[in-house]
Amino acid sequence: MKFRWIFACAVAVLSLVGCASLSPEEQAARDRVLNQYRQAATAMRQARFTDAKAVLDDALLSLGGISAGDKTAKEARSYFREESRKNFRGEPYERVMAYYYRGILYWMDGEPDNARACFRSAAIQDADPEQHTYESDYVLLDYLDGFASTKMRGDGTDAFKRAQKVARLAQPPPYDVSANVLVFVEMGRGPEKYAAGEYREQLHFSPGSSVATYASVVMDGGMVTATAPAFDDLSYQAVTRGGRQMDYILANKAVFKGTTDVLGDAALISGGALALSGGDRATEVGAGLMVAGLISKIVSSATTPEADTRMWDNLPNLLGFAALRAPPGHHSMVVEFRNAGGQATLRRELAFDAVEGRDTVIFVSDRN
Amino acid sequence: MKRLSLVWTSTALPMAVALIAGCSSGVNNPSGVPVTVMKADEQGFVAGTGVESQDLVAVTDKMARSVLKTPEIQNAQGVPRVVLLPVENQTRFAINKDIFLDRIRSQLNSKGQGKVRFLARDRMPALEQERELKRSGQLTSSSDPNVQELKGADFFLTGKLSGLTTKTKAGVSDYILYTFQLVDARTSDILWEDSAEIKKQGVEDAAYR
Repeated sequence: MKFRWIFACAVAVLSLVGCASLSPEEQAARDRVLNQYRQAATAMRQARFTDAKAVLDDALLSLGGISAGDKTAKEARSYFREESRKNFRGEPYERVMAYYYRGILYWMDGEPDNARACFRSAAIQDADPEQHTYESDYVLLDYLDGFASTKMRGDGTDAFKRAQKVARLAQPPPYDVSANVLVFVEMGRGPEKYAAGEYREQLHFSPGSSVATYASVVMDGGMVTATAPAFDDLSYQAVTRGGRQMDYILANKAVFKGTTDVLGDAALISGGALALSGGDRATEVGAGLMVAGLISKIVSSATTPEADTRMWDNLPNLLGFAALRAPPGHHSMVVEFRNAGGQATLRRELAFDAVEGRDTVIFVSDRN
Repeated sequence: MKRLSLVWTSTALPMAVALIAGCSSGVNNPSGVPVTVMKADEQGFVAGTGVESQDLVAVTDKMARSVLKTPEIQNAQGVPRVVLLPVENQTRFAINKDIFLDRIRSQLNSKGQGKVRFLARDRMPALEQERELKRSGQLTSSSDPNVQELKGADFFLTGKLSGLTTKTKAGVSDYILYTFQLVDARTSDILWEDSAEIKKQGVEDAAYR
C-alpha cells in the first residue's frame, strides 16, 4: 500500500511541475512579436526602413487581431502557468510604439492617411476603459493625427486641442501646413519592467532616463532652424496606464499560492501531531492529513503568480517632433541632442532630398 | 482495509483536483493547421475588427452594381471615361487603399459590358515615354504619334473610409463607413454616391486587457 502512496504523490508532483516549462522553440514562438518589436527599433535607428516595415507589419497583424481564443492567454490565466507563457503583445506603451513607428514609416512613404490610421490605433491601445484617468494622453498621437488631417485638407482642430490639453512637457505648435520636412526624434532609454510582491505577482516599471531633453535642428548650414522638444515620455506612460485585468488574475494566483502553502503547513503539523498521539485510527488519519498537506504544498509551489516582465527593451524614453519648410532639392541637416542646460550631448548629420508634392520624413535617434 | 481506504480517500481528492488543474501539453496545434481555402467573402478563423477581405468583397460588389445603375452611365452618349482617384482612409486601420478601387474597376470591366472605360492614369510615365519614343521615330507607330490621343476623364471615381471606434470594459467596437462617389470632371457635380457600413466588435482575452 505504501508504494501506492508514493506513486500517487509522484504523479501529482509530475503532473504539476514536470510539464511546466516550454522548449526554447515554443518560447521563441511566443516571443515572436517581442523580437519583432526589438528588430523594428534597431532597424529604424539604422535607417533600414524596409526591414522595419516588414517586421512591424507582421507584429501588427498579431496585435490587430482579437486575442479571444488565444490558448496561450488561457494558459497564462491558469494557476499553474506563468503569465510569460502567453504570446507577447506588450503593455500599452509598447503597443503604442509599434503603431507609432509604423505611422512614421507610412508617412515616409507618402501615405499620411495610413500614418494617421496608425496614430489612431496607437491611441486606442492607450485607452483605459477601467479608470479613464490617463487614457490616450500621448501628445504626439493626437498632434500628428490632426496634422495629417490638416495636410489632407481635413479638420485637425479637435485633435490639436486634445494634444494641447494633455501636453505636459511642451506645448505643441500650431500646424504649419506648408511644412514639408517632418523630423521625428527620440531620446534616452525607455522604462523597464520588474516584478514585485511576495510572489513577484505585481508588475512594476522603473522609469527610463534621457540625458537629452530636446533636439535642435539646423538645415542647410543655418538657413532654417527649429527645435524638436520632447512631447511624450514613455516612462510616464508606462506607470500611468492604470491596472490590468491580469493584475487581478495574478493577485488571485498569489492568494491561492499563499493559502495552499499555509494549509499545507497546517495539515502537515496537525497530521504529524495526530500520528504521534497514538491509536491506529489517529495514526491513519494523521498520515492522511500529512499527505494532504504535502500535496497542498506541492500545489502551492506549482502555482505561478509571477508577472510577465518580458519587455521591449530598446525603446526610447522621450519622443520629439519638429516640422520645417524646405524647397525641393538636396538639403543637409544637423540634429543636435541637448540636455536641459542647452549643451549638445550628441550630434547627427544627414542629407536628404525634398520632393515636390509630398512630405520628407526624417527619423533620428540618439541611440544606435 | 477500511482505514487504508480512509487515508486513500483523504489523499485522492486533493490529488484529483491537482491533476485536473494541472497543465496539459502547453503546445498550440502541435501538428500545425493545414492550409484552409476560404472564399474571399466569408469570415475566416483569423479575424479582427478591421477591414477584411469579406468587407472588401461586399462593399465593392455593392458599389459596382450601384454605379452601373447611374443614369449618367446608362444613358451616356458614347462610352464615358473614368479615372480613379485615391481613396482616403480616415479609419484607424492602415490598409492598402488601392485594393478597393482595383476591385470596383475589375468588377465594372468584367460585368459592365463596356458601359464604362477606365483610363490608366497610374501608368502615365510609361505612356508618355512610349509616346515620346514614337514621336522621335525610335519606335514604330500604327497612327500619327503627333496627334494627341491620350484621353481626358469624363468622371472621377473615388471614395473615403471613415471609422468610429469605441473601447470599453465590454470590448472594442469598430464601425466603418465606406462611401464612394462619381464626380463629373467638367462640372465637379457629384453624380453618384453610395455607401456601405460594417460594424464589428470583439473582446480581448483578459490576459491582454
